[in-house]
Amino acid sequence: MAVVQKLICTVERIVSHGEHVYTLDLEPERALPRFFPGQFLHLALDDYDPSSFWPESRVFSIASSPMQRRNLRISYSVRGRFTARMEKELHERQRIWIKLPYGDFIIDGKSDIVLIAGGTGMTAFTAFLDGLQPAFSHTVYLAYGARNRDLLIYRPLLEQRAKEIPQLKVLYFIEDGVNNPLYPEPAAERNEFIGRISLPVLLQKVRNPFEAVFYISGPPLMLKNISQELCDAGIKPEAIRIDAWE
Amino acid sequence: MTDSAMLRTEILRLVSQYYREKFANKTFEPFRDLVHFAGRVFDEEELTYLIDASLDFYLTANRYAERFEAELAEYLDLSNTMLVNSGSSANLVAMTALTSPKLGDRRLKPGDEVLTVAAGFPTTVAPIVQSQLVPVFVDVNLGDYTAIPERLAGAVSSRTRAIMMAHTMGVPFNLDVVLDLAKTHNLWLIEDNCDSLGSQYRERLTGTFGHLSTFSFYPAHHITMGEGGCVVTDDELMARIVRSIRDWGRDCYCAGGENNTCGKRFSQQFGKLPFGYDHKYVYSHIGYNLKVTDMQAAIGCAQLQKLPSFIAKRKANFQALMEILKPYEDRLLLPKATEHSNPSWFGFVITVREGTGFSRNDLTRFLELNRIETRNLFSGNLLCHPAFEAIPHRVVGDLKNTDFIMNNTFFIGVYPGIDDNQLEHIATTFKGFMRGERAGTIEI
Repeated sequence: MAVVQKLICTVERIVSHGEHVYTLDLEPERALPRFFPGQFLHLALDDYDPSSFWPESRVFSIASSPMQRRNLRISYSVRGRFTARMEKELHERQRIWIKLPYGDFIIDGKSDIVLIAGGTGMTAFTAFLDGLQPAFSHTVYLAYGARNRDLLIYRPLLEQRAKEIPQLKVLYFIEDGVNNPLYPEPAAERNEFIGRISLPVLLQKVRNPFEAVFYISGPPLMLKNISQELCDAGIKPEAIRIDAWE
Repeated sequence: MTDSAMLRTEILRLVSQYYREKFANKTFEPFRDLVHFAGRVFDEEELTYLIDASLDFYLTANRYAERFEAELAEYLDLSNTMLVNSGSSANLVAMTALTSPKLGDRRLKPGDEVLTVAAGFPTTVAPIVQSQLVPVFVDVNLGDYTAIPERLAGAVSSRTRAIMMAHTMGVPFNLDVVLDLAKTHNLWLIEDNCDSLGSQYRERLTGTFGHLSTFSFYPAHHITMGEGGCVVTDDELMARIVRSIRDWGRDCYCAGGENNTCGKRFSQQFGKLPFGYDHKYVYSHIGYNLKVTDMQAAIGCAQLQKLPSFIAKRKANFQALMEILKPYEDRLLLPKATEHSNPSWFGFVITVREGTGFSRNDLTRFLELNRIETRNLFSGNLLCHPAFEAIPHRVVGDLKNTDFIMNNTFFIGVYPGIDDNQLEHIATTFKGFMRGERAGTIEI
């Protein structure tokens, strides 16, 4: 964990993706400290007096690249009291306090990598995928699930990256099938599947799952179920890494 | 503005005024005032920052500590800077970190050897002994006072696991050789950079080469917090270990007064503890409490801004002393930098040559009588000190130069508080000694 800093950010943009899912673009008052893909920040809504104690805050994965030290992106879905306050109180041009970086959910590139992301849990992986280079010597598999197609909010980034990085293989899982008439039915040829993230479908695609490291990020129930399924499938516990918060 | 904010502004204004009344515009008077070998150099900024931090009354590390760590990290271009309460604590934490179980097979175990030198400060070596490791001493060069590179290469045994040495008096040791040795033999490297903030080797700052490096902010050092030090690393796991050892050995890395920054405070399994045991009270190391206060860090913030000018002044004073003492080079061995290095000098080290007709103590006694402070090169030969006589250790070859240093070497100051008047007094005093004056003060 690099040196933690507290700093003020201006909320530059709030994008509502529907179903109480949002992306925030933040502009920090000064250059961000160094951080690694997969690390997270604390965001506070109440004012902070630097000579006193840090107010109530919640943690959010940093979705933007560590290379961008003048802007930040996070995504969140409303799940409790604090995120409900965020939905209600945050507005563009508002100044808020954050502190960062935290966390050791850092992907090492020493073997094939399987990323499993549910909903806004995808943000734990976006910075890593954004920085992925064509010379990367292992295969990266990503299973990205959301309640509906509109909530696959990082799909444009992934499609772009998959074009540039042949060793990036992405599967999309859409829980409640089609809800948007403009989109065709999910189809396996587009790597789209209906339903929750399916481990059997994913493992079929992974060349050697017993040599890979699995990273899971998403809602608590998903983390619990998928990590259990991976263990049941014979994946060693030390090859399963979970981005779990309270 | 609130009443408290107005009062604060007024207090800080008065503090500035106090500085000007109490400390500013001091002039040096030879024979009355000491020419210190080192000392704190400050202005009203240090004082107002200190009072500002004390008015917060947060007490433990907070905004100033955070700022200092961030700014030092930026200066060094490293990810992790972790304040501790002294340079010696920094060495203790750094060495202890290498014994962490979190390092797996690479952790140091009792009996493992660490290459070092005996001509230095005791707390470079003490942590090796305290960690039940075996210091392996190699001799040093005269003139730059760093380890003889060839001796280092010959010192590696099957038990050697690490190198821990200081860049003595600001002079970088031969990092080409040391880094090559570390790579070839898979050794850890701790740079004790306590005396060398701002020194460079091949145009890169010392303290950025090692797996871990340490800094001191004692008043004698390049910048000060009163008491203070820092451990730095670019390795995230190592940083976590360092914070743990500094902060009671706890696994949790929340700053003082903060909770659940990891977001997993009540949902992890550790050892045989019940699942979800409060992470704040889970201990993964046998640790210490070696943290700084925010008041110390506040002084450090003001000092860090002055660092470039401090370094420049140290170099200028070093050069001035070199010119003053050059005529006596037949009797005095003057300091020199190692190849490829650009020292941010800690002091001006002088060795009295053999056969000069006077001893080191004759000269230092004369200088002290004339109000010029001197210091020996720290311990001289550490192995001759009562505390170190019986430690398990190994010596490679002999320590002939180290012993010579113990008997013949000392240093005077180059710190930024030394001005032209003081330099002139130093010049006059040396001149008097060299023309044969001994007992009392020189004749003017």
